[in-house]
Amino acid sequence: MKKLREEFADTMLEVGPSDPRLVVMVGDISHGILQPYAKACPGRYYNIGICEPTIVNMAAGLNKTGLIPVVHTIAPFITERAYEQIKLDFGYQMLSVNIVSVGGAFDYAQLGCSHHCYTDVSLVCHLKRGVVVLPGSPVEFNKLFKEIYTNGLINYFRLPEKPHGVEFSPNDIQFGRGIRVREGRDVTIAVIGTQLANALAASDRLAAQGVSAEVLYFHTIKPFDAEFLRASVTKTRHLVTVEELSAHDGLYNLCLRACVGVNGVSAVQIAIEDFVHGYGSYEELCARIGMSPDGIARTVLQLTRQAA
Amino acid sequence: MTLNKNLRLKIAQMVKASGEGHIPSSYSIVDLIDHLYGHVLRYDAKNPCWADRDYFILSKGHGCGGFYAVLHKYGFLSDQDIADYSTSRGILGGHPDMTIVPGAEASTGSLGHGFPTAVGTALGLRIQQRPNRVFALLGDGECHEGTIWESANVAANLRLGNLCAIVDWNGSAAQLMPHDDMPAKWRAFGWKVHVIDGHSAEAMQDVFSKLEFSRDGTPNVVIARTVKGKGVSFTEGHGKWHHRIPTDEEMSAIIKELAA
Repeated sequence: MKKLREEFADTMLEVGPSDPRLVVMVGDISHGILQPYAKACPGRYYNIGICEPTIVNMAAGLNKTGLIPVVHTIAPFITERAYEQIKLDFGYQMLSVNIVSVGGAFDYAQLGCSHHCYTDVSLVCHLKRGVVVLPGSPVEFNKLFKEIYTNGLINYFRLPEKPHGVEFSPNDIQFGRGIRVREGRDVTIAVIGTQLANALAASDRLAAQGVSAEVLYFHTIKPFDAEFLRASVTKTRHLVTVEELSAHDGLYNLCLRACVGVNGVSAVQIAIEDFVHGYGSYEELCARIGMSPDGIARTVLQLTRQAA
Repeated sequence: MTLNKNLRLKIAQMVKASGEGHIPSSYSIVDLIDHLYGHVLRYDAKNPCWADRDYFILSKGHGCGGFYAVLHKYGFLSDQDIADYSTSRGILGGHPDMTIVPGAEASTGSLGHGFPTAVGTALGLRIQQRPNRVFALLGDGECHEGTIWESANVAANLRLGNLCAIVDWNGSAAQLMPHDDMPAKWRAFGWKVHVIDGHSAEAMQDVFSKLEFSRDGTPNVVIARTVKGKGVSFTEGHGKWHHRIPTDEEMSAIIKELAA
């Protein structure tokens, strides 16, 4: 499956020539793969440099003149470092931007915690005009970006390094709508991003042990498809969320809000509690915090047996 | 030297009536802003979003008393707007909100935001080959912020010749972390530097009438030597008056000095 970052470059090349308002600014990443866009859209591509707050400030200026800015760099630097710019320049001033990040959570596992980012989604969600999309496959980014990039809001796209590998058709993907990837009756596994692959593998293991897991995948976090989640949990009464986000604010919170009033629900989250110290591969760091097929299956079994 | 006494009086009256405002920060820039709106900027006060306007961004948002007084003078704001300053009835507050203040191009207040936004605005105008010019007024204390120098570097490298920065060099920075040579710093960042007396109508006329703007060229910075609190003897300087509201007696003294 094509990498999300490559799809980002291809989508810019697809959209840019027909929309002269689109301007892409990057913070010294993805420079090579964006050259086809840069050549197709002269004067509308800038590798500004390593100055993320200024890049976000500048995007506000671009938008003031009627252009549609796309800013792109590594998640912690464009969201956590530049959050005051996002908050004031786009939230307070009611301007619009498209922020496309890579390196969310611990995608840059071998580079250490300075390059980790757990709170980006939460930060943008705090803004009323914030929209958060977590595409886990190329078709999701392509369809959702084209659908919303002109909406006049604060759009945040977090692109994972590794796609989840599930081939969705464009018709499966509706902005703001969850996808039931696997139907089940005993437990709802709500999942975002790359973790869809682990959730599906976990559901295979659970099936072998007689547990029927329903896997719900959310490519859009804000707006959140609360009714979809609620209907599933009303059926299963057990919820496990799997999210490469801070345990203190993310998918689990959204799901719990959606479940208010549903009786007898047991829930647990698999998320990032604190800095994931140390190095290693992405998969190794995932396994360390329970984000693996075995880890997810184990959590589900604990939950369902406790509840029983 | 011609001080804008009427504008200074209006600023003091707004602050006194509402109990909020930065008088000295406004007094150091009000002559500059008045000159820009009176002689330099292209705008339509009855249509503040006119597509061909020049953009003026007050990056040091806490000096907005001077900005509001000038916007009122040139027809952007009504008498009622001024009367309602910093009240729940009004649209004007201690820092400008661009979503509700006619003529405010940015909602500043957190220092270091307005200037890089001006850089982006200048780039956006150039991309669209529009002739508008962009002016940003920033404080020398604000020049402690990293985004000022990030943006200065970016603007020079992008050759944003449609951009002019104006630094209110009133010595605020010297109170805590001095800039040893402000003009040299901007030169080092690749800008064309002009140093003037920011309270002199003649000096402002001379420099702004000769500035060269282009879509591809070296950006200009006008470093204006100013006096914080300029115009009233006891508000000048860097002491208690930064965010002080005049007592009745002090207000009378301000009126007396400005009437002289």
